[in-house]
Amino acid sequence: MSGLRVGADEARAAAASILDWPGTDGVEVTIHASNAGVTRYANSQIIQNTERDELRVYVRVVTGGRLAIATTNQLGRDRLERAAAHALEAARSSLPDEGFTGLADPGQVGRAEAIGRLDDETAGTPATNRAAAVRAILAATNGASAAGVVETGIQAYGVFNSNGIDCFDSFTRAIATALVDDGEATGWGETSSHAVTDLDWEAVGRLAAQKAAAGHGAGDAQPGDYEVVLEAPAVATLLDYLSYVGFGAKQVIDGESFLATRTGSEVAAPSVTIADDARHPRSVGIGFDFEGVPRRRVDLIDSGIARGPVTDLRTAAQMDVSPSGHYSGSNEFGPYASNVVLEVGDQSYEDLVGSVDRGLLVTRFHYVNVLDRPSTLLTGMTRDGTFAIRDGAIAEPVRNLRFSQSVLDALGSVTGIGRDLHAFAPDFSSFGSTVAPAIRVGRFHFSSGTTH
Amino acid sequence: MEDLLEAALDAAVSAGASYADARSVESTSEALSVRGEVVEALERSDSEGFGVRVLVDGAWGFAASYDTARESAASTAAAAVEVARATATALERPVELVPEPPHRAAWSSPLEVDPFTVSVEEKVGLLAAATRALVVSPAIRIARGTMDVLRQRTIFLSSEGAAIDQTVTHTGAGIEATAVDGSEVQTRSYPGSFRGHLEAGGYEIVRAMDLAAHAERTGEEAVALLTAPHCPAGETTLVLDGHQVMLQVHESVGHPTELDRVLGMEAAFAGTSFVGIPDLGSLRYGSELVNITSDATTPGGLGTFAYDDEGVEAQRVDLVRDGILVGFQTSRETAAAAGADRSNGTMRAEGWENFPLIRMTNVNLLPGRGSLDDLLADVDDGIYMATNKSWSIDDKRKNFQFGCEIAWEIKKGRLGRMVRNPRYTGITPVFWAGCDAIAGPEEWRVWGTPNCGKGQPGQTMRVGHGTAPARFRNVSTGTAQ
Repeated sequence: MSGLRVGADEARAAAASILDWPGTDGVEVTIHASNAGVTRYANSQIIQNTERDELRVYVRVVTGGRLAIATTNQLGRDRLERAAAHALEAARSSLPDEGFTGLADPGQVGRAEAIGRLDDETAGTPATNRAAAVRAILAATNGASAAGVVETGIQAYGVFNSNGIDCFDSFTRAIATALVDDGEATGWGETSSHAVTDLDWEAVGRLAAQKAAAGHGAGDAQPGDYEVVLEAPAVATLLDYLSYVGFGAKQVIDGESFLATRTGSEVAAPSVTIADDARHPRSVGIGFDFEGVPRRRVDLIDSGIARGPVTDLRTAAQMDVSPSGHYSGSNEFGPYASNVVLEVGDQSYEDLVGSVDRGLLVTRFHYVNVLDRPSTLLTGMTRDGTFAIRDGAIAEPVRNLRFSQSVLDALGSVTGIGRDLHAFAPDFSSFGSTVAPAIRVGRFHFSSGTTH
Repeated sequence: MEDLLEAALDAAVSAGASYADARSVESTSEALSVRGEVVEALERSDSEGFGVRVLVDGAWGFAASYDTARESAASTAAAAVEVARATATALERPVELVPEPPHRAAWSSPLEVDPFTVSVEEKVGLLAAATRALVVSPAIRIARGTMDVLRQRTIFLSSEGAAIDQTVTHTGAGIEATAVDGSEVQTRSYPGSFRGHLEAGGYEIVRAMDLAAHAERTGEEAVALLTAPHCPAGETTLVLDGHQVMLQVHESVGHPTELDRVLGMEAAFAGTSFVGIPDLGSLRYGSELVNITSDATTPGGLGTFAYDDEGVEAQRVDLVRDGILVGFQTSRETAAAAGADRSNGTMRAEGWENFPLIRMTNVNLLPGRGSLDDLLADVDDGIYMATNKSWSIDDKRKNFQFGCEIAWEIKKGRLGRMVRNPRYTGITPVFWAGCDAIAGPEEWRVWGTPNCGKGQPGQTMRVGHGTAPARFRNVSTGTAQ
């Protein structure tokens, strides 16, 4: 890969060309540049192999209390000017937005510091290295069929506005996943870090192969309530959805989030602390939001007590609090907690499993969806490694199960938190991260089974 | 763009590619959201770029760039070839493409009123009128109207001599009312959920929706749901409206019949399929009433085009005929695995920056006979569910749980009381085997799903589904809480 073609100086110069666009009361320019390579494999061979160079420029214009955004993916002056003109034309045709509190002012919100979660080797990883990583994963799968990705890339974000906001930050990320299908069962392994040298390719393949091998002869587990050990990938999925339905201020203001009625109340076990923290050593993120407001750590659930939410300028004003720096770029969705961290406990993996008399071990979840937002009720399936736990030991494999479970209720019955943290990239986005250990949950409801 | 793409092809072939295609995409879109009297979002987006896909020694490589200066053609092509050479180091079975004549054509999707010529004032005014009418009670906390417009021009050139220039215009809108009472939250949408409904066409689509005329009922239903009884649990006769049948077809027929899924190429992310190639012609997918096609020629469909992103001509093929699995959605790479000597043209990529994948075009459940009332009339005791709200299915597309915004009990052939949080579960072939009625052409319409997700890196695709209300026997229903 060639790395990024847009650095801080170039982004700043581009933004500066339109920050004082005539007819506007304010202009904000957000620039997102990326260069990424994804090597995808299946049936134990590389099937798709891509490298792409992307750019996105968002021009938000204010005029007479009206707002509009125009975007382009070109950095040439003529295209930026066209975007500014389009945004102004649209804003003039729009309605006054009384809830808009103005573009960020560094004199009020402070100046954001970059985090710089950057690794040069990751930014410049060539396709040959990713292919070598795939071969290493495949070599560790004992000849079983394997599928997954090896991905490396760099992202950069710059936010500049006519009030003097000026921030730029970039991060790198490497991801490796492996699904092993040995003909009788499947198993899963994954790893992610900002630095490619942190990733152990063979370990990913080996873990997936071990889980597949252990999955032979799976029987049915009856639907019902179980004590469960959720491995970190499963925990990360639950945290992602908890963030989606509950941690944003707009959902609180609209009454859709549990925080609307339960802030200050106990919503999880006392051992559970969840924060949005882009500066956590395992998080991958930037030091500001898409308004240029410094991104602060926000305690969302603190020792089991609901705190939060994350805010942007608009919702912070509505709630009469200081903005936490979580503007998502979408006024429709509102602020978003994109770097969720569940803090570690003190239990080893063996400790977590060893305390279960009769329960289940879940590797990861699949196709999770929201059933009810205020109660954080989700449904989804297990996959790629679900096992019975009997008398403190992993026992026979079981066929996949559908769960129907409130995340908060599950967190309320947490009886153990692992001491090993794992980092995860979002499934369908390049921004943000989730950091989680494995956990033991006293009660988790499975509503039905399937045939595999 | 053509010069850029020609230069990229030349560079790719010179660098050793046995096959190359270059595809540029120029798109303009507009997204509008009005909440109450406030414009929540007004965004116009422009994007252009190109991607080069190559085969070198039977291995795929792909590179894409937003830099459309002619000089970038060679570097992007070179990058694609370099990536392909890396692919070859972990390749067991070289890719072979089934033939397709190199088409040279231009095509645009039809429309009556260019949505980009309609003023922002008119669009905002239309949505604001509808959102005002949604607020029938103080319980309505969110009254939102949305509108989305897309125009996309794709130019495709290949080293085989194909040269195709296509433009599609997609337009859609919708309204939603969210009512809140303590911790009870209910949402009702029109004409569909998750930003309404989209079709291929122009602003005439939005005008025909007549959002304001449906707003009051939508708001009233959202409020009524707050205190409606929960959907009863049990095994019963289920009638689904066309919108929910769209979701049912999408998740339990469209995805499992994508041949790349069947062949394990999506295993790590979206999963595989419970059907295999040996099942062609023999597997009973549903009752004899169930006929499902993959049809890229359906008028107004979001999956309608003249040629796919491999330059294959748009086609209509049977996936399920008289309840039997008879076809898959294929590509030039995969068609031979299913015994076909030609792709049935389902490869599409999101934007210029992505590698094309097999994507649903318009996967349609063909109409049967009669009206929705006819379907209800034959139900002594059942449930009628409308408008999709949630969806979840296992990684082989068998065990599913789907939820709707609203439902009504059916008693002695007539709709009875409203119930809330309805959901139903099933196992795909068992569910479709229980289909004993599908409404007729008068109830059939083409729905648009703008957010189908697949692939790594993830791609979102617009797909269509022609459906009518349908009835299913012996389905497990209940409440989502």
